[in-house]
Amino acid sequence: MHTKIKCFAYATLFLSASASLCAVDLTKAYDMPDATKMIEKDMFPAAKAYTMPKSCNLTDAKAIARGEFMFHNLNGQKAKGKLPAGLAKLTEKKGKDGKVKKEPKQYGNCVACHDIEGAKGAGNIGPSLTGYKAMFLDTKARDAQFVYQKIADPRIDNPNTHMTVNLTTGLFTEQEICDYTAYVVSEKKKK
Amino acid sequence: MKRVILPLALLATMGTVSVSAGEQFAMSDADRAMYSEMLENNPADIFVEEGGEIFEEAIGGEAALAKFLGVSEKELPKYIAGFPRYIKKLGNVVGLDQVMQAMQVEQGQKKTELKSGKMFSMLAYVKSLANDEVINIDVTADEHIKAAYVLGKKTYMTPRGGRGLSCNSCHSADIVGQVLRTQPLPDLGDNNVAGTWPAYRMTKSSLRTTQRRFQGCMKNALLKVIPIGSKEMVALEVYVTKLAADKKKSIAIPGLKR
Ligand code: HEC
Ligand code: HEC
Repeated sequence: MHTKIKCFAYATLFLSASASLCAVDLTKAYDMPDATKMIEKDMFPAAKAYTMPKSCNLTDAKAIARGEFMFHNLNGQKAKGKLPAGLAKLTEKKGKDGKVKKEPKQYGNCVACHDIEGAKGAGNIGPSLTGYKAMFLDTKARDAQFVYQKIADPRIDNPNTHMTVNLTTGLFTEQEICDYTAYVVSEKKKK
Repeated sequence: MKRVILPLALLATMGTVSVSAGEQFAMSDADRAMYSEMLENNPADIFVEEGGEIFEEAIGGEAALAKFLGVSEKELPKYIAGFPRYIKKLGNVVGLDQVMQAMQVEQGQKKTELKSGKMFSMLAYVKSLANDEVINIDVTADEHIKAAYVLGKKTYMTPRGGRGLSCNSCHSADIVGQVLRTQPLPDLGDNNVAGTWPAYRMTKSSLRTTQRRFQGCMKNALLKVIPIGSKEMVALEVYVTKLAADKKKSIAIPGLKR
């Protein structure tokens, strides 16, 4: 503000508006918060190949139920009704201050892009996964490993994919990718 | 102030999809009825008017803005239709909200926060001064805007966040019009994002700006939400404004959105 007062003084002294001579430095006069570091921290590793773990039990009814639930829901905050065994509504996250905060658990919301048996309001950005087992597994066109990799990191199969990356970003665990895989490859009743 | 009526591309695309509209789309029949009603009477008009009053009283109105930007009052609307711009005395490519902040500081006032409702209203008013002007951003005008365009494109294309998505994952040409959980994906140029925000957002019952709308998508898609006015945010606006300029779109503020 000092420059400005001086500026007025000069202006009256010389009885002229000497704006160009003693203009206030305005290069810091407005807000331009930093986002560069935020974006850097938000990046994730390059495409990664995965092998479906031996621990993946694709016929485990509980895994299929969790996969189904996560497939059809966005996050724990919006999840209504009883959750399948082993699935949480909230997760704990350590904040900057070191305190542990509860946050809604994120799910895949795969239905935003894929139709599948029983889907409500499904999107069509990805292919329909209806009848997937009969069409792709039983015909041996695909195997569970392909599905696991697709969900974990679809960039291996298609570098320009529009699909979400689910394991390499760290949003989900290996077990959760197993759960999705189990659901996708399972035999489903027509709903 | 002139009233601008915007057809919603959504309404037009509706008939082309062979699913029961009521169930498939996020906009119910009741919503659509309300939308038509609001076209007649955009609730954002009151914010724009309010913004105009604050702008007039607190900063000195159009005359002061034109003077600050070094253009005549007559040239002002066309000049506004070319923002974001590199403003030499501010040393950066900036939005009109940042220009107003600098004017406030120059006049010895406290600057209004970029993310405040008050600033959103002022911004809507100032941008509405350019209504009917064709968007004329020149991303080759100087090295600064060139760099901002490059940064904007990069910010738009870079996948990040919990789901590994970029703006382009959902708004690229090869995917526009497809449906993401009941919502058709809009082309940001065809939809004239740059010319129709600030807009009244029905689902949020408030006036939102272009950059605030960007934040909405970031939040939903789990990209870390970056602050309004940051270099990357302004650059993103430059990039998206160019998309509308390429389609020869005009300014029509305030818009009305689902
Ligand atoms: C933003 C859109 C989007 C989301 C969200 C999404 N997908 Fe996909 N998905 C795609 C697209 C697009 C493809 C087509 C192949 C490609 O581009 O990778 C695909 C392909 C697939 C395939 C391979 C189909 C085949 O056999 O060719 C499977 C399986 C799959 N997705 C499962 C999932 C699961 C499970 C989730 C949730 C965890 C999910 N997808 C979320 C867009 C999406
Ligand atoms: C996961 C998908 C997805 C991602 C990622 C995404 N968007 Fe969107 N975006 C949408 C959908 C769906 C809509 C339409 C929503 C509606 O109708 O309300 C939309 C709407 C918009 C609009 C409003 C369009 C209009 O007509 O006014 C803008 C602006 C926008 N997005 C910008 C961005 C930017 C910038 C990014 C990246 C930071 C981004 N989006 C990332 C899905 C996405």
